[in-house]
Amino acid sequence: MKTKHIFILFVLLALVQLCIPAQMIFNRESILKQGIAYKFKTEPVDPSDPFKGKYIYLNYDLRNVEVGDKDWHRKQDVYISIANDSLGFAKAVTASLEKPESGDFVLAKADWYSESTSELRFSFPFNEFYMEESKAYDAEVAHRDAQRDSLPNNTYALVYIKDGEAVLENVFINDIPIATFVENE
Amino acid sequence: MNSKLIKELPDLVENDVISKEVASKIEHYYLSRQQNTPNKLFAIFGVLGSLLVGLGIILILAHNWDNFDRITKTIFAFLPLIIGQLFVAFSILKKKSVTWKEASGTFLFFTIGSSIALVSQIYNIPGNLSAYVLTWIVLSLPLIYLLKSNAIAILNIVFATFYAFEFGYGYYTIDQTPWLYLVIMALIIPHYIHLLKHHKTSNITSIFNWLFPLSITIVLGAFVQDASELGFLMYLLLFSVFYNIGKIPFFNTQKLRKNGYLIFGSLGIVIMLLTMSFDGFWYLEEFFLNTQETYISIVLFVANLGILLFVYSRKWLKEFNLFQYIFILFSILYILGLNIPIVGTIIVNCIVFVLGVTTIKIGADKFHFGILNYGLLIITALVVCRFFDTNMSFVIRGLLFVGVGLGFFFTNYMMLKKQKSNVESLKN
Repeated sequence: MKTKHIFILFVLLALVQLCIPAQMIFNRESILKQGIAYKFKTEPVDPSDPFKGKYIYLNYDLRNVEVGDKDWHRKQDVYISIANDSLGFAKAVTASLEKPESGDFVLAKADWYSESTSELRFSFPFNEFYMEESKAYDAEVAHRDAQRDSLPNNTYALVYIKDGEAVLENVFINDIPIATFVENE
Repeated sequence: MNSKLIKELPDLVENDVISKEVASKIEHYYLSRQQNTPNKLFAIFGVLGSLLVGLGIILILAHNWDNFDRITKTIFAFLPLIIGQLFVAFSILKKKSVTWKEASGTFLFFTIGSSIALVSQIYNIPGNLSAYVLTWIVLSLPLIYLLKSNAIAILNIVFATFYAFEFGYGYYTIDQTPWLYLVIMALIIPHYIHLLKHHKTSNITSIFNWLFPLSITIVLGAFVQDASELGFLMYLLLFSVFYNIGKIPFFNTQKLRKNGYLIFGSLGIVIMLLTMSFDGFWYLEEFFLNTQETYISIVLFVANLGILLFVYSRKWLKEFNLFQYIFILFSILYILGLNIPIVGTIIVNCIVFVLGVTTIKIGADKFHFGILNYGLLIITALVVCRFFDTNMSFVIRGLLFVGVGLGFFFTNYMMLKKQKSNVESLKN
C-alpha cells in the first residue's frame, strides 16, 4: 500500500477516534441543556476505578416501585416513570418494559421482584460520581456526619433527564455541592 | 552475542585454531551485519518510553482536577489524543523508522484510552469496565495494520484478554460469554501470520507464539457457563490443539523456548490429567448434550482432528506420540467414564504413566536432558498425587518413591555415559 493511502486511512481512523469522545460529550451536553432536573436522595460510598480515577458510588433511596405485573427478569432494561414528591425529590410512579409516551422516565436495570410487597427493586445507571482523589473518601465521611443533623437525609444527586437518558450533574449535601462542602469541612 | 564471539577471536588465533585471515573475515562479517540491522534496542526503549508516558497521562488525568471547569477538562481530554495522532501522522507521512512508528503508535494507543476515560469522568458516565476497554480496542486495532506495529498488536491482545476476563468472569456479567474476544483475536491473526511468514525465527514472533496460547488459556474459562463439568474436557482439548500445533514441523524445528504452543500444550495436558487422576473427580453428574460447552468441545475436537489429518496428509507424522492422540482417548473416556468412576480413575492414571514414559523416551532419543527429566517429573508428580488419596500401605508408597528416585539417577547416568561415548567416538 502506498504511503498516501495509508495516510488517508489513518486520517479516517483519527477522525473516528476523535468522534467517539466528542459524540459522548454532545450527547451529555444536550441532556444537560434540554433535560429536566430531578433531585434523587442518595448515600455515597467510596470505591475507585483503575482508569478513570476515584469516584463515589451512590446508593439511591429510591430503588423500589410498586408494580402490577409479576414477570420481571434480573438485569432487564425497565423504564421507571418519575415525578416530584411534595418535598421536591424524585419518586417512582411506575415501571414498564415499553417506553412511556408521556411524562419523565429513566432507563434503569431491574434487580428483583418481591411478591410479598409486590414491588420491583431496580438500579439507576447514574451511580458513579467522579471526584478529585483526595476528596472522594472525605465525601463519604461528610455525608455520614451530615446525617447526624436533624433532617433525615439531606444528600441528593441532581440528575438531568431527557428521553430516558440521564446525566448526573452534581451531588449536594444540605444544598451545597459536595466538593465545596468537603473543602469547607 | 556476536561481540562475545569477536572477543574470543584473538584467543582462537593464538591457539592456532583459526588463521588470522579467517579471524578478520569473521570480524568483518559481523560488523557489516550489525550496520545493516536497525537498532532493536532503540525500538524497545522507544515503545517502553511511550508506554510509561501514556500510562502516566492516564493516571494524572485520573486525579480528577476539581479546579478546572468543564471546558478546560474537555480540552485536556482531546489534547493528548491529538498530539498522539500528529506524531503518528508524521511518522506515516515522513516514512519514519520502525522505532518511530512503534513508539508513536504506542503513545496514541494510551491517549485513546485516556480521552474516553476523561470524558466519562467529566460527565459521570457510569462505566462498566469491559465496555470501556472494548471501545478502546476497536479504536486502536486498525493501527496494527496502518503502522505494521507489533507493540500495538501485543497491547491489543493483552487488552482483549482483559476485556474477556472482565466480561466473562466479572461478578455482574458472570452468565455472559465474551464472543467478541474471538472477533478481536481473528482480526489480529493476519498480522501474526505475516510475522510467521516473514520473520519466522525472530524474537518478536516467539513472543506471539507464547502470547496467543497464554491469552486463549486465560479466556477459555469465560466460555464455560453452567455445565462446568465440561470445562475440564474443553481445557484438555484446547491444550491438545496447542500441542498438535506445536508439533507441526514449522514450529517443532524451532528452538523449544520459541515454541510456546508445544510447552503450553504439554504442561497443560499433564496438569489437567493429574487433576483428573484423583478418585473424587469422576463422581460427576450427567452428561450435557445441548449446551454451549458441548458445542465448544466439539469445535475443539474437530480442530484437533483437522490438524492431525493435515499433518498426516503431509507425511509429517513419523513416529507415534501419545500426546498427539490423547484427545480422542480422553473424549471417549469422558463420555463413558462419568458413570463408572473407577474406570475413569484407573485409565487416567495409566495414561499419565504412559505419557511420562513417552516423554522419557523422546528425551532419550533426542539426547535432551530437559525433556528426559520432564518425563521423570511427570511420573514423580503422579506418585506424589497417589500419595495423598490411596489406601496403599506406607511400605509400597515408600518403595514407589525409592523406585522413581533411582529412576532419576539411572536414566540420567545412562544418558551421560552415552553422550560421553558419542564424544569419544567423534574424537577418534
